Amino acid sequence: MKNNFDFERIWESKRALRRRLATAPIIEKLRMLDALHERAVAIRGARFREATAVQEKPGRYGDRKEKTS
Amino acid sequence: MLNQMEHDGVIKRYAIGGAVGATFYLEPVSTLDVDVFIAFKPQQESIIVSPAPIFDYLKRFGCKMEGEYVVISGWPVQFLPASGPLLEDALDNAVEVDVEGVPARDLTAEYLAAVALQTGRAKDKASVLQFIEAEALDRTKFEEIVERHQLVDRWRDFERQFVE
Repeated sequence: MKNNFDFERIWESKRALRRRLATAPIIEKLRMLDALHERAVAIRGARFREATAVQEKPGRYGDRKEKTS
Repeated sequence: MLNQMEHDGVIKRYAIGGAVGATFYLEPVSTLDVDVFIAFKPQQESIIVSPAPIFDYLKRFGCKMEGEYVVISGWPVQFLPASGPLLEDALDNAVEVDVEGVPARDLTAEYLAAVALQTGRAKDKASVLQFIEAEALDRTKFEEIVERHQLVDRWRDFERQFVE
């Protein structure tokens, strides 16, 4: 299988994006920082919930209910 | 809020550092908190510097405390005393920046990189590298700071490891 990715172009476009972001007006950058912060908090919150949430014991599928007389 | 604190004499001088401070020179990177370096007003009859006056002041404005942080406008802000020669120097040489007409004070790129170099965690090293790659540093000024604060060996190691 032939690799059609031009990594030089990919790296160059990444560098160009970083340069553009670095020279963006400060207010625009601070807005981005706010958005990144909200996302980071949300991700951290989700990880925290995963770690501490009360979990149900997984059901034993296939178990039959006890018969009641 | 920070300007108001300085104006009201709660702190002597402040400057924004860390990733938020770096945003003035680099592309924004995700961070969870804001580092604010401060010089305290000298407290009479005490050699222990306490952040309590800052917390008390900010509580009056409805700011909440979260451990070591004060939450201001949704951001956890950590007030860090500019202790040690490098941080004191960095704070003395901090620059005024304009944020849509609101003045703020930020550490210069060279001091932010030097502080990161001194701190030396993985994310600090990444930050130094970012400054270099973005050509955001005045290398002469940066190397003067590195030399003045005995960081030459650390800088050489860093260069050897990441730059050369």
